Amino acid sequence: MSTLADTAQADSAPTTILAHGNKLPDSPAAAPFRPWRLLHGREGAVFLLALLALWIVVSAGLSFSGSYLFPTPWASLKALWLSLPELLKGTVSSFLILAPGYLLAVVAGIVWGLLVGTTPALHRLFSAFSRLASPIPPTIYIPYAIALLPSFRTAAGFIVFVGAFWPIFLNTTAGAGSVPRRFRDNALILGLGRAEYLRHVVFPAALPHIFSGLSVGLVFSFIMLTVAELFGASAGLGRFIQLYADYADYPRMVAGILYTSVVVLLTTGLLERIRRRALFWVR
Amino acid sequence: MSTTPATTSADTGLQIEAVNFAYAGTPILSDIRLDIAAGSFVSLLGPSGCGKTTLLRLLAGLDRPQSGSLSWQGRPLVGPSLERGVVFQDYSLFPWLTLSENVEFALSKSHPETTVEQRRITAAEYLGLVGLEAATAKYPFELSGGMLQRGAIARTFALGSKVLLMDEPFGALDPLNRAKLQDLLIAIWAGSSPRKTVVFVTHDLDEALYLSDRVVLLGSTPGRVIEQLDIPFPRPRQRRELSRTPEFVALRQRIDERFQQDLIDRIEAESLIASVAEGI
Repeated sequence: MSTLADTAQADSAPTTILAHGNKLPDSPAAAPFRPWRLLHGREGAVFLLALLALWIVVSAGLSFSGSYLFPTPWASLKALWLSLPELLKGTVSSFLILAPGYLLAVVAGIVWGLLVGTTPALHRLFSAFSRLASPIPPTIYIPYAIALLPSFRTAAGFIVFVGAFWPIFLNTTAGAGSVPRRFRDNALILGLGRAEYLRHVVFPAALPHIFSGLSVGLVFSFIMLTVAELFGASAGLGRFIQLYADYADYPRMVAGILYTSVVVLLTTGLLERIRRRALFWVR
Repeated sequence: MSTTPATTSADTGLQIEAVNFAYAGTPILSDIRLDIAAGSFVSLLGPSGCGKTTLLRLLAGLDRPQSGSLSWQGRPLVGPSLERGVVFQDYSLFPWLTLSENVEFALSKSHPETTVEQRRITAAEYLGLVGLEAATAKYPFELSGGMLQRGAIARTFALGSKVLLMDEPFGALDPLNRAKLQDLLIAIWAGSSPRKTVVFVTHDLDEALYLSDRVVLLGSTPGRVIEQLDIPFPRPRQRRELSRTPEFVALRQRIDERFQQDLIDRIEAESLIASVAEGI
């Protein structure tokens, strides 16, 4: 009978303790097969593969029975390849709306947020309006914006701006208002003026909050952009998806969804990289 | 103005006159009267709740008392200024700037006429003074607590402040680093010319006795001056010998007893009031 000491010196293969205290011999040949051990650390990839497998199975089954609503991955990729020129032109068109709208929201949101967050009088002036206007989804302004503004581009740009402005502004205000007291004290002792204080102390100190706002604002921008394009664009990624949905060309439509997803992921990924570089000092 | 022939030492230092401070109705400081001679090293010693941090903030000009006045060299304090630099317990360096950039930033405010290059050299000098010449390009998150406090001290020296207000600067450090920084502080203080005035807040009795010319005992709730004691030991002070000196031991015991007495007085005062109410 092997003792506990012997077991402790045994090799790393696990031993199974039976109910009455005896142990199975711990030779490698007798080690139990545990396939789920391989999963450890790779669960995420396995889940994605499982979803892909599900897509293949469901879509293959449906198309076999004659339905075209759910294209196979292969059909979608083929459609993607064929639509690339159109999609690339659409990307340019969409970004010509997204970029000005988002970047304007970044500048306005940060500047106004820093001012409001550090000036009690401005805060009192603006907070009532802010509380009323910020929760309203800019999507409901879309028909009016299209009717009122000179071009679709400006209307969509305006909607993108409003969608991104509020998260950026609110987060910046929160960040500016939560600058640690010792930084304020330092600035006072050093005799910093208002502008210097905002630029050299409040802005860097509030950057973590600001970047949260930028991330949320970017996601909202894409949502506003695609919805606006569904309404009235003549080009662009949202328009592409809507168009082929109208034609019931589902492989192309799914291709559009896949492509747009990649574009969004690349853009948010870019923001994430910028954020990590800018916030290198945060612990 | 009057034709006073010579200024007394009190006029050339910090004067705190009948200062009262309350926050949200709670009294924090009660009738504080203190004279701190220029060039001296004075410790404010007291338990938590005695308002010593508040008193330091008043001296820095970061807060205003409800009544009474504070003045430096005869002139009343109107607000924060470069003349009175502060070293906080939780480091006053900006985390998004390197050590050198932190000091350079301070220099750009205290010596605006200098060039960027001049400031960089001066910053390196001050950081070398505190033993950080190898860490000038490091960011605060890369440094230990001891190094950060050295950096904070270097920055306040770079400001050229005549008064150094220090709020338990070594409180968060381990005993070895605390001892090293105490020695460093004394060395650069002794080497400063003209001698800087240091107001050092601490709750560590041994630290106060080792570092200061004078110790001000502050009682708590509300903060008030219980007693002031001169520390007569000659400098430079050696820790080992000092701890064996009978005067040191006696002084230490005296201060301990004084605080104990004050605490018991406070407890009795509260229970006295309570018992009278019960009698009604």
